[in-house]
Amino acid sequence: MTPANTFTIPVGPLHVALEEPMYFRIDVQGETVNSVEINAGHVHRGVEYLTTKRSIYQDVVLTERICSLCSNSHPETFVMAIEEIAEIEPPDRSRYLRVIAAEVKRIASHLFNVGILAHLTGYETLFMHVMQVREIVQDIKEAVFGNRMDLGAMCIGGVRYDLDDEITAFLNASLDKLAPEIDTLIKTYRTNGSILRRTKGVGVLSHDEAIACGVVGPVARASGIDYDVRVKAPYAAYDRLTVPVPTLTGGDVWSRAMIRLEEARIAIQLIRDCLRDLPGGLTHIHDRPDIPAGRAVTKCEAPRGELIYYVKTNGAPEPERVKWRVPSFMNWDSLRFMFHGAKIADIAIIVNSIDPCVSCTER
Amino acid sequence: MRLPQDIEARLRAAAPHGVEFSSAVTPLGVTTAWCGLADTDDLLPVAQAMLATGARLSMISASLLPTPPEEEEEEEEPEGEEGAAEKAPKPVPMTFGGTPIDGTSYEIDYHFDLEGDTLTVIAYVPHGGGVVSLTPIFRTADWAEREMMENYAIAIREHPDPRRLFIDPAIDSAVLERLIPFSTLVNAASTKSLWDKVMAGKGGAS
Repeated sequence: MTPANTFTIPVGPLHVALEEPMYFRIDVQGETVNSVEINAGHVHRGVEYLTTKRSIYQDVVLTERICSLCSNSHPETFVMAIEEIAEIEPPDRSRYLRVIAAEVKRIASHLFNVGILAHLTGYETLFMHVMQVREIVQDIKEAVFGNRMDLGAMCIGGVRYDLDDEITAFLNASLDKLAPEIDTLIKTYRTNGSILRRTKGVGVLSHDEAIACGVVGPVARASGIDYDVRVKAPYAAYDRLTVPVPTLTGGDVWSRAMIRLEEARIAIQLIRDCLRDLPGGLTHIHDRPDIPAGRAVTKCEAPRGELIYYVKTNGAPEPERVKWRVPSFMNWDSLRFMFHGAKIADIAIIVNSIDPCVSCTER
Repeated sequence: MRLPQDIEARLRAAAPHGVEFSSAVTPLGVTTAWCGLADTDDLLPVAQAMLATGARLSMISASLLPTPPEEEEEEEEPEGEEGAAEKAPKPVPMTFGGTPIDGTSYEIDYHFDLEGDTLTVIAYVPHGGGVVSLTPIFRTADWAEREMMENYAIAIREHPDPRRLFIDPAIDSAVLERLIPFSTLVNAASTKSLWDKVMAGKGGAS
């Protein structure tokens, strides 16, 4: 009797490295993955439809609630589109404050992902250490924005927060605390045997595959694609800042983690540069104009990569159509390549390495 | 390489039925271009022209093309024959390519990215029509087209894997048009009490 040597195993929809549901049907031969089917739709909420039933000003609040870790990027890109349609120029000071909000979120998001990676390798001490370091960023969010998750920082025509001397001093002191911690984490992830054994050469996405899948963000940059919206299509104050774009060619789980850690380090520098150059003046325009008919496509570099918004208005208070594509929507597809030939035990680590966002994907 | 200088000429060469082209550059140097197609038959050659420039298909947006708002009638109706003439049915407005804008046609926007610049190719599809799938040349179109198929009655021809993406196969297609979603039933309403409270306390965020 010949035993069957291929199996189909269901993974998910609950608790595949994340709190969010996504279902994978994985065909395996022995312990090796042959192919994968991804089944989405468990948290589809129809937010795109809802945006057309709210006023454009209310949608700033609604879009912030599409996702948690990249919550700031959604209203940021949405208000950029509205500003383009209505020809609103946000004040200079708000451009820098937008960068600060975005980079604070980026650090928190990246640290969360590399922390979960440590958890999935079974290195709980490191996981807790990363989360403790991340707590510095959470405290920054709470102190500067009043919230630990949704910042509520963006509005049409500027930002809804400001920095005074006291809070700037706190921010600077927090960054001084954070920077050496991140340097230590980079060293740990670069040299620790437990991390390296589970991540090096695992879940490889080649340069060509990355281009075919159209992946974005750290997933693309870890496969050698030098693309960062902050540099390619500058917005806010990024045209006046030096934004280094780290890339690696390994395309494996480790490369993606290292890109994220490096970007967290760069984000600290960007915030410091903004605090140094922060111009005075208004933080937002002081009227609330009617938004004329028009259309715009805008994009920004969310923690997971390019976030793109298409907004069409017709002069009514509600937008006619709002469509967005989150970075994860592109990155899921790359799992088909990353899983090929992978071991069952590495599935969760590989899924986590694209830093997937399910509520973003399904809207 | 960003959008090439001769992009409009390239698109016109690829689309013999004609295009409606416009572009603008932001103060920070990012180009946003729009290219409406007169005929959806030109979609594939135009997509191939974009592929040749090295562009990435970044997003696809589908939407129902709403009827333009009716002009308000004058309150005092003119008398006699003039009044009768006023009531003659108005011609249905058309897109420049001849797709009726009567509330049943679709607009499909293909957003291409080339090193930060964006070019949006717009295809207008009349009710019951469809477009050819771009998935064979742009892998990134796969999910976007499947999502479009299940939300709207747009036929995507030659899609290599036309299964459901988000919505269960047991539910008919064009679910956003045929069924009455709960959010339509309640007109996507929610209470405004929090919003009112915020606005009352703040005097506005603008």
